[in-house]
Amino acid sequence: MNLPDYFLADLPPSAELSPVMISAACDTLKRNREKYLLPRSTGEIVNILCAVAADWLRPENQFRRLALELGPAETKFSRPVLERGLDDFFRRFTPEQFHALLQAELGHPERLDRFVDGTVARGPAFLVHVAAGNLPDPALMSLTLGLLTRSAQFMKCASGAALLPRLFAHSLYAADPKLGTCLELAVWGGGNADLETALFAAADCVTVTGADKTLAAVQSRLPARVRFLGYGQRVSFGLVTREALREESVAEVVSRAADDVVAWDQNGCLSPHVFYVEERGAVESDQFAARLAAELMQRERTAPRGDILLSAAADIASRRALYETLAPHRGDVKLWASPDSTAWTVVFEHEVRFQFSCLNRFIYVKPVPDLAAVLRGVDGVCGKVSTVGIAAPPERMQELARQFAHWGATRICPLGRMQNPPLTWRHDGRPALGDLVTWTGCEA
Amino acid sequence: MNPDLAHFAARLRGRLAGSSDAISASQFSALALELFALQFRSNAAYRKICEARGRTPSVVEQWTQIPAVPAAAFKELDLTSLAPGERTAVFHSSGTTGQKPGRHFHSADSLAVYEASLWSWFAQNFSGDSISPIQNSKLVVLTPPPAQVPHSSLVHMFETFRQKLGAPASAFVGRLENEGVWALDFAAALNALSPRASSSSSPSLLLLGTAFSFVHLLDHLVAQDLRLPLPAGSRVMETGGYKNRSRSLPKPDLHALISERLVVPPGNIFCEYGMSELSSQAYDTDIQPPASGLRSRVFRFPPWARVQIVSPETGREVGGGGTGLIRILDLANVFSVAAVQTEDLGLRCGDGFELLGRASAAEPRGCSLMSA
Repeated sequence: MNLPDYFLADLPPSAELSPVMISAACDTLKRNREKYLLPRSTGEIVNILCAVAADWLRPENQFRRLALELGPAETKFSRPVLERGLDDFFRRFTPEQFHALLQAELGHPERLDRFVDGTVARGPAFLVHVAAGNLPDPALMSLTLGLLTRSAQFMKCASGAALLPRLFAHSLYAADPKLGTCLELAVWGGGNADLETALFAAADCVTVTGADKTLAAVQSRLPARVRFLGYGQRVSFGLVTREALREESVAEVVSRAADDVVAWDQNGCLSPHVFYVEERGAVESDQFAARLAAELMQRERTAPRGDILLSAAADIASRRALYETLAPHRGDVKLWASPDSTAWTVVFEHEVRFQFSCLNRFIYVKPVPDLAAVLRGVDGVCGKVSTVGIAAPPERMQELARQFAHWGATRICPLGRMQNPPLTWRHDGRPALGDLVTWTGCEA
Repeated sequence: MNPDLAHFAARLRGRLAGSSDAISASQFSALALELFALQFRSNAAYRKICEARGRTPSVVEQWTQIPAVPAAAFKELDLTSLAPGERTAVFHSSGTTGQKPGRHFHSADSLAVYEASLWSWFAQNFSGDSISPIQNSKLVVLTPPPAQVPHSSLVHMFETFRQKLGAPASAFVGRLENEGVWALDFAAALNALSPRASSSSSPSLLLLGTAFSFVHLLDHLVAQDLRLPLPAGSRVMETGGYKNRSRSLPKPDLHALISERLVVPPGNIFCEYGMSELSSQAYDTDIQPPASGLRSRVFRFPPWARVQIVSPETGREVGGGGTGLIRILDLANVFSVAAVQTEDLGLRCGDGFELLGRASAAEPRGCSLMSA
């Protein structure tokens, strides 16, 4: 890859990092922030971010091209899946969306620039991110929020997951080199105590995205003065109402459901494990499952699932074998599966209890008589649910949203947009930007 | 009792007592097809599965085509030819607490086949041309005794060894604690293993246990700063995963710790691969010579149980040296289902396989939760 060595993550894998290198990088970042980042206004930062994002959306953009060329091998997502994911992500970057985000979380778009109505907010001087390895959106969003707060940022990428954060950082560097010198990225296997001790010692705030045990491990090692923001394991599911299952609309609903399964190969916290489908629609729930299977087969041709580890394929094969064995014994279990591959799987079963999918395009469809049955089924994951994707007419959508909010879901969206939240999305129900800042009030 | 199956079982038992080449490849195939036809007739749950897959005795021509049932299906279905009244014993799979265990039903006849199978292959692997015949060894077993864990197929196996070797019941130095936890009676274990009890003239030891029972023992020895050199020629066999019952150690680390604390050379530490859903076991006693510092441990089942390594992507057998899911056709599973599909990953090595791990133990990619 012909990218300059701006970041530690650009060094060849043989280059060994030391705590001294990490500390030195942190000092440089802090100095650069004082000089180059702190004097900027929110408006300037937003303009740069929007320009960089608009560039990423152009087919000839060199960073996009590299992402699509190198991505399939490095990230294990196929090119069409990467393309769609990156497009969805960068389309969120508009001045209006940033304005809405700043307004929603800080009450005023210039709150980070000056006193407005007696209060001003400022970000952490030095912000550390421990990024997850599954998909790039959270890492790119973390860097974006840290730029808004004018923080020096150090991102520790997961092994094998640095490509897209690196390319994003390089694109920022290319657009504004001084701003780029306020970012650092590095890769090492999580839990490297020497490197992480040096890093955390410099931090004012640490965000961690990933497995709950990773969050706990990092949090336990932070000095007390450091603010900790953890984004842990969450699951999501969908609900298709009977009103959405009309003959004339079902094709659209099935297509949206497939969008949610195919996006990032179902590898994110916002990806559905289960679609609950209301019975007694014009199209029956098992028909919905059959159509979803046909749609996933079609998608495999246009946006194939990426290569997966042998162990992940074995998970899918084992789970399929079990349902295939149970199906003849239970009239209420049906299985659709890609022939000669583990590319996609649809399991239809009446058991309403939420079931963890083995992901990589393995989806459960469960018929339910009503919302009460759904709420009984998902009881075991209460408090761990991020997104509920719903296909319903507007009048029912509001009522369902009210009930799921009351139950504890943190995001409700139309089916088909589960992996595509707006910039204003409150990550796990928390204000992601708001949680970064510290306020000063002036009563004079 | 199905007389045809009982007859098959009696014939098989006769063969198992013979030498390791008692069953040739062609004989295996013929026996497998015969057993498949019998199980198809007498095992209703299995018949339904075969019919749904369109694989009935009338179309299956080779043993590799015999439909395998996932080991996990033993949790959900009664995969047995035994009528409810004939099921005098049942072995449970060791699953996570709170989950339904797999159930492998047995009768006196089927236990007799199980015992013939497990003893024959164990004896062949552990005494073969050894200079220390197992009959002269002192047996120590790091599990609870069978009366405390009647549903453990592993402990039933150890108990069969004990009876065959004429060892006392005190060979079991484990015990069952509250909530079904398997623990060690450290005093009994140390007494059985201490050099005092086995002076220089003492017989070699045959020390058997689960991986986690060895960790319990070794952690105790480390904590007490003890080393217990076992008599020369002693052998150690460990089996199974950790299942959160102890801290888990990579196999080389576990074996290094055994070597250090019990002073057993690495070449005398063996692994067993087995499960409650089967009636035969694989051993890695034929350790390959070290190559590039990595020692591969090749497991082999007896000639009456054959392994296929199956691609999870295509469901077809992988070629030589390929990796995939381990599928076993165990003729000794006379009264249940002979063809069992495991969730374990293996690498084909000649007539054996290397164990690579378990599918469901795979780390989730990303932050979504995996199966609970």
